[in-house]
Amino acid sequence: MKLVLYSGGSEEENFFLNQKALELTEVKSPKITLIPSSSYDAEDDYRFFVEEFSMFGVQRFMLFCVDIPYTKTVLHEALNSDLIFLGGGNTFYFLKHLKKAGMFKHFTKFLERGGVLCGLSAGAIVLTPHVHTASFPHFDRDENPWDMKNLSAMRVVNFEFFPHYKNSKRYDAELLHHSKKSKLPLYACADGGGIVIEGEQITFIGKTHQFYQGKKLTVSSYLA
Amino acid sequence: MSENKSMGNTKLKESRPLKEITKDNFDYPKFREIDGSHPLKKMVPEAVVEYQVRTRHGGQVAFFNFELAKEIGLITETHSHDLTKELKDEILNTFSLVIINEFDQMNNFNFPKEDIRPNTYMATRYLQLQHPCKKGTTSGDGRSIWNGQITNKGKSYDVSSCGTGATKLSPACNINKKFYQTGDPTVSYGCGYSEKDEGLSSLFFSEVLAKNGLETERVLAIIEFSKGLAINVRVHSNLLRPSHMFNHLKQNNLPTLKRMVDYYIDRQVKNKVWKNLPSDPLSVYDYFLMRIVETFAQMSASFEDHYIFCWLDWDGDNILMDGGIIDYGSVRQFGLYHHEYRYDDVQRWSTSIKEQKLKARYIVQTFAQIVDYIKNEKKKSIDDFKNHHALQLFDKRFFDFKNQNILTKIGFNGKIANSLLENHRKEVEEFRNDFTYFEMAKSVKGPQKVPDGINWNAIFCMRDIMRELPQLFLSRGMSSTIKNSEFLDIIKSSYATKADLKRSLRRDLKIKSFQKNYLKLINLASKRFKETPEKILLNVSMRSSIINKYDRVTGDSITTIVGKVMSRKPKLTAEEISIILKEFTEYQNLNPDKERKPSNFETEKEQSHLVKGMLQIVREYRDGI
Repeated sequence: MKLVLYSGGSEEENFFLNQKALELTEVKSPKITLIPSSSYDAEDDYRFFVEEFSMFGVQRFMLFCVDIPYTKTVLHEALNSDLIFLGGGNTFYFLKHLKKAGMFKHFTKFLERGGVLCGLSAGAIVLTPHVHTASFPHFDRDENPWDMKNLSAMRVVNFEFFPHYKNSKRYDAELLHHSKKSKLPLYACADGGGIVIEGEQITFIGKTHQFYQGKKLTVSSYLA
Repeated sequence: MSENKSMGNTKLKESRPLKEITKDNFDYPKFREIDGSHPLKKMVPEAVVEYQVRTRHGGQVAFFNFELAKEIGLITETHSHDLTKELKDEILNTFSLVIINEFDQMNNFNFPKEDIRPNTYMATRYLQLQHPCKKGTTSGDGRSIWNGQITNKGKSYDVSSCGTGATKLSPACNINKKFYQTGDPTVSYGCGYSEKDEGLSSLFFSEVLAKNGLETERVLAIIEFSKGLAINVRVHSNLLRPSHMFNHLKQNNLPTLKRMVDYYIDRQVKNKVWKNLPSDPLSVYDYFLMRIVETFAQMSASFEDHYIFCWLDWDGDNILMDGGIIDYGSVRQFGLYHHEYRYDDVQRWSTSIKEQKLKARYIVQTFAQIVDYIKNEKKKSIDDFKNHHALQLFDKRFFDFKNQNILTKIGFNGKIANSLLENHRKEVEEFRNDFTYFEMAKSVKGPQKVPDGINWNAIFCMRDIMRELPQLFLSRGMSSTIKNSEFLDIIKSSYATKADLKRSLRRDLKIKSFQKNYLKLINLASKRFKETPEKILLNVSMRSSIINKYDRVTGDSITTIVGKVMSRKPKLTAEEISIILKEFTEYQNLNPDKERKPSNFETEKEQSHLVKGMLQIVREYRDGI
């Protein structure tokens, strides 16, 4: 299983994660697909996605939106990629449409055949067992106007992920509070940081903090 | 009914001077320029009917177009987008007007002197096919007046308002041979009022089309009154229509016709739209004709390729001289090429979208007649111009623009498109023919009734195949092909039935030809610009994803959206409509070259819930009419 979870941030900040993700494909000329969280203005995201990965010599790109009708042909082609990148945005909206489209079972098969699945922010959260981390902190959380109750997600990893983390008291207060109720460890990454999983191996990029059972730990990073 | 060609009223009512510029309205001096004065009144007085106007009370500003107001210099560029009390007052003072018409005069209605404005405002005369008189002696602005002209940075703009009272130029007035009181409930259009939903439809539609580079009138303000009535104020750099000239031609009135044409030419020159005119006075008319050819060839190709239905006809109404769209009442944008759709106007069927080219061509033919008439001072029959060189040029330019449009739809940038047009016209046309084959395909169900007319559904969505094809070639490699079943899977619209998707030898061959000719153009561009075909394809793919966006507005979606805005509780304020409009039109801006914000693929989209609801409507109606 090859996974890359991005916190967020700029092209420069994510250079190393991008490079690592492409290396994991083990393909000289990989085919990569962006699945944005929403089709609204997805074309803009696509353009910048292409620019970001073109600098590594990637030439084969696809844009695939799950919240608008698509054909089997295009779905099949997207799943035939070497790398799928799940974009950021509103986690609840993204989850709703990924579930509606039955994408998780497709992603499972994609991972089984050796594909690299990447997710940034919301795209990373949906890979975890549930998307509770999108609901806090209260000052920076995703709206859930659809009032989604079932927040279970892909469960491809057995930890929670918290993107855009800022090492501050007000973030820590909410994360610690949450960790007391959760049975899973929560990894919080600042922008530019993330987690790379290759088979049994997990690598933390940038300074990562673990929140577990009311305690905060700093995880040694691969590239601090 | 007596016909007074120069004035609408025989006896002017006494008025009091407008309030002096005080501290309250000092900030908006440009509004003062919009006072009914317009050069056309002096240049071609026979072309207008002047009315005295009075203040119409009880209006509220439902919308004000800040961007447009800045563009025309009505407010300063640094003005906030807040509708202050002072600004509201200024808008109402300038535009909340109603004419004192013939009915008012005949019945000796007395209006308060302080409500009567010192200047007259004009309703213009033009040809309209729905009038009994086919020469345009009685037709024109039936419920509009021109508020005036405003100049900013060397460019002048016409400002007119719809819903300002019943003029004697309305069809109702002339068919029933009586003057109507403004607001008479027994006639709809003829009562001289317009409605808020008309203004909002025009607003949303025109702003989307303007964002996408089409010439159109734009809505400056909407002033609403009780019972859904409104005054809709519109602006364009020149609001003259071909029909403003055709009436004088039909009436054999050479002096007026010549002055009208001269006025238009002079205006285009002053606005720097036309440059380098010939010095020989008579050659100026040939130049005028060539510009008309260019404009109408481009406009009709563009309407056809954007699926814009605009009821063009021999009268030269419903379109501006510069090819701009006016009167959104019958304008639509289709999601597919519904080339059999016809609007049912009770007494007649409209033209269809593919007949628009013929009507535009006929308008050009009429202009050829006009130019000959002016130059030789003798009017020949319109039939004498059937083979005029202007029409041959129109045909050529029409297909030039069609070729340009297809290359744009593919996603080529201007540089590549121009190179292909110059050097590979044959290959471009071969692809366009394949494209047209699918675009024209209709349902086996045959003609169907639709709420406002008749249609024979188109079945293929060309935007979908143009968006997905480059991605598939990129993904699979350029030597691969898209299977026939896959091609049909992508291109089929919601209108396509199982029977419509039946395979045939011809269709299979066309699918192959479509792909072959598409890749041929990619390879030609690659060779010419010394880039790999994959790189060209990638660029095309990115541009095409914007140009051929999944959800693009249609006429039905605009109607539904306006209904949603109108029924919103609590009512949306003018500022809220402005914000929503901006978000909506930004989303519908399909220009791949527009400036884009850097993304980290997670920008929290800012659309308000209402805009999201609107975009959902656009999606639902995306294949429709």
